[in-house]
Amino acid sequence: METSFLDFIIEHLGQFLQFTAFANLTVGHLIMIAVGLGFIYLAIAKEFEPMLLIPIGFGILVGNIAFSPGFKIGIYESGSVLNYLYFGVAQGVYPPLIFLGIGAMTDFSALISNPKLILIGAAAQFGIFGAYCIALALGFSPTEAGAIGIIGGADGPTAIFISSKLAPDLMGAIAISAYSYMALVPVIQPPIMRLLTTKKERVIRMKPPRAVSKKEKLIFAISGMLLTTFIVPSGLPLLGMLFFGNLLKESGVTKRLADTAKGPMIDIVTILLGLTVGASTQATTFLTIKSVGIFLLGAFSFVIATTAGVLFVKLINLFLKDGNKINPLIGNSGVSAVPDSARVSQVVGLEYDKTNYLLMHAMGPNVAGVIGSAIAAGILLSFLM
Amino acid sequence: MQRKSKALFAGIFVLLFVAFSHALYAQGATNLKFNEILLNNESNFMDEYGQRSSWLEIVNSSYSKVNIGGCYLTDDQKNPKKYWIPNNSQETVISPRGFIVFFADGKPSRGIFHLNFHLEAGKSIYLYDANGRTLVDQVTLPDVLAPDLVYYRQSIDSDQWATSAQSTPRSDNDHSHKASAGERFVEHDPIGVGMVIVAMSVVFSALAILFLFYLLVGRKFKAKKKAKSAAGEHKQAPEEHLSGEVNAAIAMALHLHFAEQHDFENTVLTIKKVARPYSPWSSKIYTLRKHPRQ
Repeated sequence: METSFLDFIIEHLGQFLQFTAFANLTVGHLIMIAVGLGFIYLAIAKEFEPMLLIPIGFGILVGNIAFSPGFKIGIYESGSVLNYLYFGVAQGVYPPLIFLGIGAMTDFSALISNPKLILIGAAAQFGIFGAYCIALALGFSPTEAGAIGIIGGADGPTAIFISSKLAPDLMGAIAISAYSYMALVPVIQPPIMRLLTTKKERVIRMKPPRAVSKKEKLIFAISGMLLTTFIVPSGLPLLGMLFFGNLLKESGVTKRLADTAKGPMIDIVTILLGLTVGASTQATTFLTIKSVGIFLLGAFSFVIATTAGVLFVKLINLFLKDGNKINPLIGNSGVSAVPDSARVSQVVGLEYDKTNYLLMHAMGPNVAGVIGSAIAAGILLSFLM
Repeated sequence: MQRKSKALFAGIFVLLFVAFSHALYAQGATNLKFNEILLNNESNFMDEYGQRSSWLEIVNSSYSKVNIGGCYLTDDQKNPKKYWIPNNSQETVISPRGFIVFFADGKPSRGIFHLNFHLEAGKSIYLYDANGRTLVDQVTLPDVLAPDLVYYRQSIDSDQWATSAQSTPRSDNDHSHKASAGERFVEHDPIGVGMVIVAMSVVFSALAILFLFYLLVGRKFKAKKKAKSAAGEHKQAPEEHLSGEVNAAIAMALHLHFAEQHDFENTVLTIKKVARPYSPWSSKIYTLRKHPRQ
């Protein structure tokens, strides 16, 4: 018996309705859409890391449209456009490119003028390995624990790079956790800084940094790469690109390249990275107990990193003469959330002394933190992969 | 001065040439090795025709793809070009740490993986590079090898050979379960304290080396500056000097100002020339409908 045209239309309309996101929607999708909207709200209304939270937040919306699988739509479906864009995340291509841009826009003068600040950047890496220990104790596998620990480095690109190598399944959760806590640095760090310092310590005035010559900056860019990567070659993709970007900036003869690296290129990569990382948080793969654990561990790692940084400065101060002492409020900047954590040092410092500007001093450990977390990432790769 | 620069450039060029020629050499067929050989095939691996013959396996020990096409296999050192491996096939490309198997059945008409000679006990087999002169690898077969026993390299990076009844064509010779590096690490360090100590020591050492280096470099530059100013070469107008704090305050004020002005940054006053590139896509002329000519 021939079906009537009306039946034909109704049948296909039914099929079409089954393909819509309404038919495939789950509570998980709704939760993730709410999270995405929350990120966008925080970015626009509170201005928390808008450059990252808007692409990630919108990416979460994109990734949680409940489509029918098999039509090359989803980020995990090979051959889909999103899957091609996600290649750069999955294979760790985007993070080194972001590091190139960071290198091209970072002025390492504060670090060069006062080299002892470099060590604060090392101390803050305790956050990474502290979180690694806790993750192991909670039953995560060694590679997963390493990937989770890197959240404590407060460095989004490094976290993505390491998780893509050590625990690709957890990459979405780790990236979202890292960027969320980076955005929340102004909320997480100040109470810890106040708790661990005395009123007298908070008003320590540091010597103004000396002017650094161009030659010194050039030596830094080249020797920094050689010295660090000779020790940890597995950190080469990140460290190599960071110092290369810095050489482009400091050489003075490659202005166009430096401008591209720190301008359009880093913007393009940030857009692709943010959007695809956000889209990788499909409710079906993202909403698990492990993700909750990762978020909790991420918070712990930030707390440990900040604590270690502040306490390390207090330790150094025991060996320094009056007048050379370091304000412990810059200890939090050892985490590599550049320049947010340095800004936190400045803001908290100003609360106690309106004329004590800590920003320039805090930038030293802050950029050292970038180098330190890339070295720590290299160590994790060499030990666990 | 110019002569000095030229000499420096020539030096760098020579160094680069030496380094690159070595790198190119290292990444080519030189990373190919004989890996496993079966001499007397009674009930072992069959070829695509369902025939059993002696076979040999070659491994690519590098971490990049290598095309074995164009190389030569032979059992006669005086005739290094005995079997030329065709170089126009994708099948001869060996993946990183991958394997390829050749059947020594004396029937090259059966395909590129069928050699024109047989393997014989006690004889050597050789792999030559595409030039037919550079010996890439060679192995001497044992004088006696029981049926279905393989003569194999104990691991890809080892030069030790052994015999075994378990053949592993097109795969790693070591079939024992290998714990991952992470698992091995945690076996020795279940709570992670070892990792914290070792990793933090490495991080601190790396950054301490940087610290010491820049301390020394900084001192040298400071001393140089002092010497210059003492010699009166360095003339600095004190009234133009701005301290770090002042710079920081200016930078902070500017940052806060521009952060607030985020969406209005086009109104920033600048002395830079503003480029307005012409494009037909943005041209009003082309987007408006023209009156028809009469």
